[in-house]
Amino acid sequence: MPPSIHPVDLIASLRQKHLTPAIVFLTSRRACDEAMESFDHADIVLPPVRQDAIAAALERVIAQYPSVAEHPLIPTVQRIGVAAHHAGHLPSWKIAIEELMRQGCLDAVFATTTLAAGVDFPARTVVITQSSIRKSRDFTDLTIGEVQQIAGRAGRRGKDQVGFAVVTPSPYIDLGVLTKGFTGHPESIDSQFSISYPMVLNLLKAHPHEQIQAILAKSFAQFQLNQRAELLERKLDGLHVQMEPFGPRVCTDWISQWQTFDQVRRQRPQRHQIRRHESPELSARFHFMTPGRVVGLARGRGIVLRQYRSKGQKNPMISVLRLDGAVTECPASNVGDIFDRIFECDETPAFPWCSAAAFDELSYQLTELPTRLPTLPIMVPKDSEVLPDAIVQSLGDFPCPSCPSRPACQKDFATALRLRQEQHRHTKSIQALRASLWHRFQERVEVLQKFGYLTPSAHLTDEGEWARLIRIDHSLLITEMIRAEAFTGADPSLLTGVMASITHDDDRPGSFPRISPGLSSLLGQVRKLAESLSPYEDPPLLRADVAALAERWIADPTLTWIGLCRLTTMAEGDIYRLLARTLEFLSQIHTLRATHPGLAETASRAIALIRRGVLEELP
Amino acid sequence: MTIDELEQLLVQQPVAVLHRLARGRVHRHFRAGKRRLIEMILQHSSQNLAGLESDVQALIAERQSQPQPPQPPARPAGRAAASPPRRPAHRGGEPESAEAAVSLAVWLEGIGVPAPQPFVPDPWQEEALAALDETDVVVSVPTGSGKTYVAVEAAKRAIAHNQTVIYTSPLKALSNTKYTEFSKIFGPDKVGILTGDRQENGQAPLLIMTTEILRNLLYDAASGEIDIRLDTLGLVILDESQYIADPERGVVWEETIIFCPSQAKLLLLSASIGNPQDIADWLTSIRPTTCRLVRHSKRTVPLRAGYLHPNGKLVPLFKTAAIPSGHAGHLHPEAKRLFFEYEEETLPSGRPRR
Repeated sequence: MPPSIHPVDLIASLRQKHLTPAIVFLTSRRACDEAMESFDHADIVLPPVRQDAIAAALERVIAQYPSVAEHPLIPTVQRIGVAAHHAGHLPSWKIAIEELMRQGCLDAVFATTTLAAGVDFPARTVVITQSSIRKSRDFTDLTIGEVQQIAGRAGRRGKDQVGFAVVTPSPYIDLGVLTKGFTGHPESIDSQFSISYPMVLNLLKAHPHEQIQAILAKSFAQFQLNQRAELLERKLDGLHVQMEPFGPRVCTDWISQWQTFDQVRRQRPQRHQIRRHESPELSARFHFMTPGRVVGLARGRGIVLRQYRSKGQKNPMISVLRLDGAVTECPASNVGDIFDRIFECDETPAFPWCSAAAFDELSYQLTELPTRLPTLPIMVPKDSEVLPDAIVQSLGDFPCPSCPSRPACQKDFATALRLRQEQHRHTKSIQALRASLWHRFQERVEVLQKFGYLTPSAHLTDEGEWARLIRIDHSLLITEMIRAEAFTGADPSLLTGVMASITHDDDRPGSFPRISPGLSSLLGQVRKLAESLSPYEDPPLLRADVAALAERWIADPTLTWIGLCRLTTMAEGDIYRLLARTLEFLSQIHTLRATHPGLAETASRAIALIRRGVLEELP
Repeated sequence: MTIDELEQLLVQQPVAVLHRLARGRVHRHFRAGKRRLIEMILQHSSQNLAGLESDVQALIAERQSQPQPPQPPARPAGRAAASPPRRPAHRGGEPESAEAAVSLAVWLEGIGVPAPQPFVPDPWQEEALAALDETDVVVSVPTGSGKTYVAVEAAKRAIAHNQTVIYTSPLKALSNTKYTEFSKIFGPDKVGILTGDRQENGQAPLLIMTTEILRNLLYDAASGEIDIRLDTLGLVILDESQYIADPERGVVWEETIIFCPSQAKLLLLSASIGNPQDIADWLTSIRPTTCRLVRHSKRTVPLRAGYLHPNGKLVPLFKTAAIPSGHAGHLHPEAKRLFFEYEEETLPSGRPRR
């Protein structure tokens, strides 16, 4: 059986059951493109009427977006009535496909699950081939909400009586995730509030520092934190009720009193235990029970073969060779005498713990031993450990022995202490929940003060006044670069190149055209700066290839879109998105015209240069 | 009849018949699954196949003569899972194990284009629009239920009152689509689009933009550099507002909602989410009026789920034609069998991973 159904067969089955038009969600862009290619050798041809309908619909789109006209996939789409729609395509092509789909000209569209939200057109059927999607390098299972979002595209209002979501397996699909997704209740959503530098600057521009906490309190994040805090407060109320019988007694704070006592008591048994484990006498003697030593046991003598410790035994253990040639195990404490006689013993790691020759030799020696042997004089250190004075005194001072409420206190102490510790924990968590956003805000404020965007009294400095206009990712890096005058004298292509490499956060590999030495050295500076800012802001990828690509587009106004695409292995759609996002960043820099007229001018020239060809089609 | 033919015949019989057949022949037959049962019956009667055959024929004749007692409607899912119906083949007729499950024909029934009907707004759409006259509204409905209709109608009403309407979407591509769509509905001069560096028709009463752009406008307005008619702003529509939970961009939705001028109504359109009431409660807590939540989980066009085996066989995914809400275990036995087979063959370990 094939690991998954062949795209041609899939479409054929759908057609046969009248389940078209359909959206087929596949794992990756490549899977979509390969699915399209697999139709190359299939003898599926649409009837001429439908081919004409597609052509006519495309005509209308081309009138608005000329770039569609040259698309290499047009003949295929027309012939088979199937198309691919994913982020690697130009927006205009995607619009064309969506239009064809809306008009019912196509039988199926291959799309990627990753961008299911961008697929904003319905179909009769949705085909699902996987249960997980790639999210920042990892594959995660689809959530119930995502499955329902995908399945939701099935069934066109007014055009279908029923919609169908068809699961067709591919390797590593988990049917459970999908069935749960179909039948389940969507997950709750949680706030993802984060505090960015531009947010801090803009808030402080509009509101005095002391009002900010009230504004942050209006966020959904704080709303949800408050919900959790309220839950804890209810628990805390319950704890208060439970604590009532444990109020003040003879001492007001008897719990603390007992806690101290308890701590002391806990320390004492430990000392005892250590002594009980190994008496000083034993530990002194144990050093002499080395392999080859003759020792006296309750019944007869023996020769030590090895020392070891056993988990089940309190005392260290020894293996002893006995008179009858048996090897026995006994605790070191059982040893009565340690004789002043030692034999050569060739130790081995396995039973009988010495070499065969040594074993025979030792057995022989054991029988030949004289009846009287001198014992070894072993000095046992005096037991000098006594309780430290502090503890003895605190015990002496402890008022409880004579206190009338002592039995009651002793009985309640464990419960009361547990309740009180819980109270403390909850109180701390509530404080943290109530103040966490404010603390995060303060952290950002401190960083901005350090860099001189804010005064110590948290007012905007002159630098802060313009820096607040940069409201994009990596804003700190960009404003710091502007302050370091990294762009002084830079031409539009250089600026565009740097901005492009800052915006691009995709790590899909792409081959790159040659980079100009100016841009290369500038990028090196940016990289160093980003590195130094990394404690305060995550550094961007700063890829040189995308920088070079964007630079080329600006530097060479005669370069066509096709020519640009040939320079790299990046997909058209990715190049488009790169330039579109660079445009956004440049337009933010353009807003600095009041304070940085030169830079703003460069940015606006760069914007004008980017906007040509395909990039002019859409607003 | 050879032993193979007899086996075929047995395979086609319901389990109840097999158990009657096994009575007195096989010890503890009630413990065995169908396949094992057939095996045991054949093994036991290997010396007396003719006798077995006549018994089978008699039982079949008896069953055909008397009306069948109604089968219990559904076997408990747990039992079905314990003994997955695995038969070598079944020829002719509907698969027996699908006794309670829907057939493919029923599942496919109703496919096609409904007769054209005049458009009648759903009750929830009316409810949302009515509520929007007084207060903010959060709409949480399944994908494809007609949220856009609410947006369009609400915008129409606001424009009729000479108010400015802002419509935001999370993706630039969606903004463009909506721009084209709304231009057709309202007329090209009534709709404008704002992007970071470009304005088209910026003075139009209905402005489309991404949520980031609106957030930036609100920042500027807060610091006193108004370049948008915020005073005439009557309605802000945030489409796909479940994006508030997006790890990177969710904060923008929160900021937009916090800074949204209080005289403007907010309309949050969201796909089905688990806790829309929380969002509504939050809006109530920070906005001047009590927010109204409009939610439902019933799809306008009913949805059915199917399973397409790589060999091209299509079967319903669930026992019922409609999706059994809350019962993920109610799988169609045939789909379950096929998927089990698929896993057996494709997984390297040969065992289904769980």
